[in-house]
Amino acid sequence: MSALTGTPSSTPRSAARTPGSGAPGDRVPQVLRVKARKRPLPTAGKVVGIVALLVFALFPAYWMFSSAIDPEAPTRGARLLPAGVTWDNFVTVIDDGGFGAYLRNSIVVAVGAVVFSSVLALLAAVAVSRFRFRFRKAILVLVLMVQMVPLEALVIPLFLQMRTLGMLNSLLGLTIVYIAFSLSFAIWMLRGFVAAVPVELEEAAYLDGASWGRMFWKILLPLVAPGVVATSVFSFITAWNEFIFALTFLQQSAKYTVPIGLQKFFGENTTDWGAVMAASTLITLPVIVFFVLVQRNLSSGLTAGSVKG
Amino acid sequence: MADLHPVPGASADQLTRRDPAPPPSSTAGPTAGGPRRGAGLHGMHGVLGHRSPIRPWLLLAPALAVLGVLLLWPLARVVMISLQDYGLRQIASGESNYIGFDNYAAIFGDSFLWTVVLPNTIGFAVACVVLTVVLGTAVALFLNNLGTFWRTICSTAIMVAWAVPAITGTYVWIWIFDPLNGLVSSVLDSVGLIDPATTNWFTERLSFYAIATLNVVHHGFPFVAITVLAGLLTIPKELHEAAMMDGATPWRRFWTITAPILRPVFAVVTILSTIWDFKVFTQIYLMPGGNGGNKDVFNLGVWSYIQSFAQGKYGMGSAIAVLLTLILLGITVVYMRTLFKEEEL
Amino acid sequence: MQRRSTVAVTGTLLLALGLTACGGGDNGGGEAAGDAASADHSGETLTVWIMEGTNPDRDAFFDEVTTAFKEETGADLQIEFQPWASAHDKFTTSIAGNTTPDVAELGTTWTGEFADVGALTDLSDKIKEAGLEEDLVPGLVESATLDGAQYGMPWYAGVRSVVYRKDLFEAAGIEVPTTWAELQAAGEALKAANPGLIPFPVAGDSQYGAMPFVWGAGGDLAAKDGDTWTSEIASADSVKGLEFYTGLATSAGLSTAAATTWKETDLLSNFEQGNVGMMISGSWTPGKIVADVPDMADKIGAFPIPGETEGLSDSFLGGSHLGVFAASEKQDLAWEFVEMMTTGEFAEAWGEQSGYFPGQTSLLEKVIEANDPLVAPFAQQMVEAGASVPVTPLYGQIQGKKTVETMLQSILSGSATVQEAADTAAADMNETFGS
Repeated sequence: MSALTGTPSSTPRSAARTPGSGAPGDRVPQVLRVKARKRPLPTAGKVVGIVALLVFALFPAYWMFSSAIDPEAPTRGARLLPAGVTWDNFVTVIDDGGFGAYLRNSIVVAVGAVVFSSVLALLAAVAVSRFRFRFRKAILVLVLMVQMVPLEALVIPLFLQMRTLGMLNSLLGLTIVYIAFSLSFAIWMLRGFVAAVPVELEEAAYLDGASWGRMFWKILLPLVAPGVVATSVFSFITAWNEFIFALTFLQQSAKYTVPIGLQKFFGENTTDWGAVMAASTLITLPVIVFFVLVQRNLSSGLTAGSVKG
Repeated sequence: MADLHPVPGASADQLTRRDPAPPPSSTAGPTAGGPRRGAGLHGMHGVLGHRSPIRPWLLLAPALAVLGVLLLWPLARVVMISLQDYGLRQIASGESNYIGFDNYAAIFGDSFLWTVVLPNTIGFAVACVVLTVVLGTAVALFLNNLGTFWRTICSTAIMVAWAVPAITGTYVWIWIFDPLNGLVSSVLDSVGLIDPATTNWFTERLSFYAIATLNVVHHGFPFVAITVLAGLLTIPKELHEAAMMDGATPWRRFWTITAPILRPVFAVVTILSTIWDFKVFTQIYLMPGGNGGNKDVFNLGVWSYIQSFAQGKYGMGSAIAVLLTLILLGITVVYMRTLFKEEEL
Repeated sequence: MQRRSTVAVTGTLLLALGLTACGGGDNGGGEAAGDAASADHSGETLTVWIMEGTNPDRDAFFDEVTTAFKEETGADLQIEFQPWASAHDKFTTSIAGNTTPDVAELGTTWTGEFADVGALTDLSDKIKEAGLEEDLVPGLVESATLDGAQYGMPWYAGVRSVVYRKDLFEAAGIEVPTTWAELQAAGEALKAANPGLIPFPVAGDSQYGAMPFVWGAGGDLAAKDGDTWTSEIASADSVKGLEFYTGLATSAGLSTAAATTWKETDLLSNFEQGNVGMMISGSWTPGKIVADVPDMADKIGAFPIPGETEGLSDSFLGGSHLGVFAASEKQDLAWEFVEMMTTGEFAEAWGEQSGYFPGQTSLLEKVIEANDPLVAPFAQQMVEAGASVPVTPLYGQIQGKKTVETMLQSILSGSATVQEAADTAAADMNETFGS
């Protein structure tokens, strides 16, 4: 798990180094001889490796998207390029498949889970990384242990619990469960980000007469914001992709999230691969976009967050 | 937490850091000592009134409440239900119906557990973990040898593989292996290797799990690759250079330098992968036959779901869930031990 | 004893038709909902689950129903469509979660099972009040009855026969088969004439496709002795029937490996794509095929499932009830909806559009008289050779376990012989029967 928190704690140091030392071009002359020997893979080998890796990594996503726009997807067979380009499948999926509503539900659930788990996790992370108190270690162990519980094993009790609370078949019930799922990981991750903020900055704020709350808002929060963003991606994806709880909790199609919507849609259109792949594409795109967007945020955020001194 | 476990810290790290950083597990870095220093300082501020002793508890309270109500209490409850004959009637009436360990006796006495479910669960998890870690490590080593530009391109590509949700990924693989019109059967048919009229990979236990393994490994290797790469970037180049001066082969350098330094990273990715791959549900349940029609392909997760939600035997389903939890608890203990040796909290 | 269930249903059905003829089958209660001095329910919403894929033009139909219901009662309807394949799990889960709808369409084999756990409302009194009890198809009443109380209102009945490509049969000069040997020969002739075609796909995830052959060979699913049921699926006769049916795939090569995991919906969509020569399919499917693929209108036909050497093989007389869930707070409103759907104009229109047979005997007779070529073979199958699965709540559980499907899939995939798979299935059933 420590590997997962490596970034924040190492940020300040890396900021002090020169960029680009991963590339072979900036070695000092003394090691030139070494450098020549250092490249065990010939360029051709690397090209093959890069191509193989790209194909393996991207092929399913490509196949999904290209089937979605292929007007003759069900009989596609081994045709690598689509027979044409059509958006009909997407229209079918949104108009007849009801994916507009499913996407909206998923967004509601995912945003709810992100907001609440981030807030709760941040508070908890500050507690465990900025305070020393009795049972601190016990709580850290607890947080870690909880991550290891197979959530699938909790479907039955949580189902019954939500039944008692009358929160089955509601997006709220699902959101609450997703908050719990992403919470322990978020605490663990944010703990590293909070720890990486130099304590001296806090001290300075106190010396200026700031209260703890003011220090938190003005100093700590802006500095850990990149960490919160990183954690958000995680919570978002958890909520967006989760299947078994949504399957058992939601009984009304107006409440379905995208995974259950896709399962239902597939059940009704088993051989209409074009439409099934279009629906899959709709579900996948936000996640990919989110990943890419947040990565950019994250890099600038990390640079900004690495305060010198 | 479900099935996609991005470690954005590590990934962003990889994409943005242009420079070596300390091994992630080491506490030697200047800021890793932060909490401890902070702890020392805030003692002073406690005196100054900035930090009352109850503040950490106030900050922790909401999170602990959520974890307690939604994770710990259900965990206790699943054990309680597993000791009951708990069906639709009991759910409706709210009465308990304790029968001791009968559910467990029924599970352990059922040859189905020993001949089908456990071999499927364990065999599948082992295959997935080994392949995920080996492939992920190989990719990380390869990326480590690339220039920044290509490394970024390749990293982004494997992030896409990572980002595809398990459910859509599963449907894509089903489509690729569709016996009638799928890509693979069409290709193999056209070269005369198979006859699509007699080939259906979803009905045979081995080929079913081969496809599931491909699905899970494809979805899981980016996590390993990105995490290991983050670790690789922390290894001082001088070590490798010195070894190269001594004429060590890349293979030997991997085992004498890289592997020992990254041991904690490997421990982490292996154990996390093990935990995730043991409890795979979605990728099995959604494949043809995985929802109950083909009992040969059940694993613990699917069996528990079918027993409870399809057949209304919630007690039996809970007992299977408890069994799964206990297996993972064993793995967790190993995990905690590995971890606490390496890092102090 | 062994074929008790079969005979009982076939007999009562014929009796029902006879009774109707004498009793004068005028409209039994089409305007009943309007007659009742119904309270104003405006502002309320009734949640209804309807099975997916029975009526090709379901949206238009339910739009009309919604409008009419709003006029009658002031209440809104929220209709949810559920795919058959996942519906049983969905019901079980929603009963457990107390998230059941107010009214739902229930497969006839499920009604007893859900009534047994207390999820459904006893409708006997309401049916009596409405004066409908004499005008309901007895086979459908029987499957809705548990311990003397009726938990489901017969909505429609359906039966499976063979739907085939008339054009391909004619092109290859094949006659409609009247025995099993001819059925196989027809498949082989189709295959010879159309190499790319799947002549007779044997769908592994469709229990009802196999039953005609079990029954046709003189076997049965289970027999009742006193109060206990015992599985008969591994008897010599049953196995003989299963051997013929699965043999069409495994030895005659008339199916395709992909079909091992096919559900009935897969059969249908492959038929619509032109991949299939003939298939065991429901009375509701020709209408859907024509609606989805208008080109096929004059290319398809249907024939009853032939007997092994003569006559017909029995086919499962299935259908649906409308049930009111006990947890619903809108019991009266729910009943008004049930009555509106199962009697009078909407029941008639539903039957016409979906190819199902109405659950009201007076309406059923009209359909049979019409003698539509895509309806008549099914009507003949239903009247002459309809059979029922064991009428016990326990059989619903067995269906929930997919016992028959598991058996078929293991035979078709070659992982077990017919006898082995049947023995496993029998043991599995007996475990549930408690025998």
